[in-house]
Amino acid sequence: MTAFGENASAFFAVIRRDYYVFLSYRTRLVSQALTSVFSLTLFYYVSRLVHVEGFTTPDRYFGFVVVGIALIGVLYSCFSVSETIRQELVAGTFERLLLSPFGGVRGAVATAIFPLAYAFLMSSITLAVGALVFGLELHWSTVPLAVPALVLALLAFLPFGLFFTALTIATKQANVGASWIIALLSIVGGLYFPIALLPAWAQLASELQPFTPATELLRNLLVDAPMEHSVGGALAKIVGFAEILMPLSLYALYRAIRLGQRRGTIIEY
Amino acid sequence: MSGVLTEADFEFELPAPRRDAPMPLSLRSVSKAWDKGRVPVLNRVDLDLGAGARVRIAGRNGVGKTTLMRIAAGLIDPDQGRVEVFGSSPIDRPEYYQRLVSFLPAGDRGLYARLSVRRQLDFCARIAMVPRRQVAARVEEAISIFDLGELADRRVDRMSMGQRQRLRIAMTFLPRPEVVLLDEPLTSLDGDGAELLYAAIERLLGDGGAMLWCSPAGEHTEYEFDRTLMLDQGKLVPA
Repeated sequence: MTAFGENASAFFAVIRRDYYVFLSYRTRLVSQALTSVFSLTLFYYVSRLVHVEGFTTPDRYFGFVVVGIALIGVLYSCFSVSETIRQELVAGTFERLLLSPFGGVRGAVATAIFPLAYAFLMSSITLAVGALVFGLELHWSTVPLAVPALVLALLAFLPFGLFFTALTIATKQANVGASWIIALLSIVGGLYFPIALLPAWAQLASELQPFTPATELLRNLLVDAPMEHSVGGALAKIVGFAEILMPLSLYALYRAIRLGQRRGTIIEY
Repeated sequence: MSGVLTEADFEFELPAPRRDAPMPLSLRSVSKAWDKGRVPVLNRVDLDLGAGARVRIAGRNGVGKTTLMRIAAGLIDPDQGRVEVFGSSPIDRPEYYQRLVSFLPAGDRGLYARLSVRRQLDFCARIAMVPRRQVAARVEEAISIFDLGELADRRVDRMSMGQRQRLRIAMTFLPRPEVVLLDEPLTSLDGDGAELLYAAIERLLGDGGAMLWCSPAGEHTEYEFDRTLMLDQGKLVPA
């Protein structure tokens, strides 16, 4: 077998490990699916109650917000890797990854995959419940294109989680300020309401991260929401962010691990 | 079991270990201080382990034995000095180094509580880059050698401390390393478990591997070492 084959085998071993651990908590899927249903119910009635500027019908706003709800889970999953690595530091299992040929950086990246795949599943469930229970109208001709678009978006989102993982390894504190950043990104990324409602300075912030173009593109593909920018422009932005942020975040992770090894703090938790 | 590694064993681009290098494990002038400006816990420590060596390091609690093992494992860097296995250092070639060295840390950490023994071993084999077609056989071999058959499908959080230690030892030997570093390996082990450990060490040494064992001064063990060294005030001295 080639080095690629061995790496792939190790990569899938990490994903399988997380899958089996997930399965050992039997009610997790059901409870999280119910949380999603409750969110949909809440926003369904909010859409009926409140007239939101820029939306011609309550259903248009509901379609807008369902995609946002689906994406917030993906956003959370990107940041969950740092919490998982923090738990691994405490359990001594990250040490095992570090002392394997697979190594800490690849191990941390592989650790992010299952939560992302799971978030993808939950997003699909959210959209399906939205369609089946609340009458969400999906734009079926472009729905399949949302899958590669989401994968591309994940490459732009994941570096945020990896930066926080590097910070966690350096400081031993999981997700310092992550909840603020997720809240901030959900606002300036336009997950729950259009960014046109925001003040000018906040709208500027919406241009400085990949969540806004990704959300806009996915909304267009899933529910045929109009786009402020072109599809090509949104794609270019997402690719640009991924190209810049992914290598930077991997380097930050590598440096954090090496710093911990040099100072001897990698054994602390 | 350990064996002379060849290209066929690795089946990837890295060369086989340098058998012309004098020592499987070599520590040269290794120093480490936990608080800068204070007395180092390791002070220019030299140690060579040749093929077939079984060496014990003893010492009082907190004297720096585990620090020495962690440096030898490539987990933390020394402030000064160099660690090599067959001429390669864990800093310059970490992936290659970790294919040759296996470390059993002290304590009972490093296990996934909600994974079964078999899945834990499978995971361990794959991150150790054991060739994929050999993984299943190696896992079953480890289960057999360390008498884990009845526990193979049991989750770790439902096992006793001694059973967990046997699993941790099985994970240490499963990748067939050249050098094994054992930090207080007898913790929680019963007599049968200790015998399984000794037999695994003998197989490793018989194939040209080397073993470094550390435990507190005064620990009784029936295992016979080539050398026992004391770590005292940052220096290794004959016991």
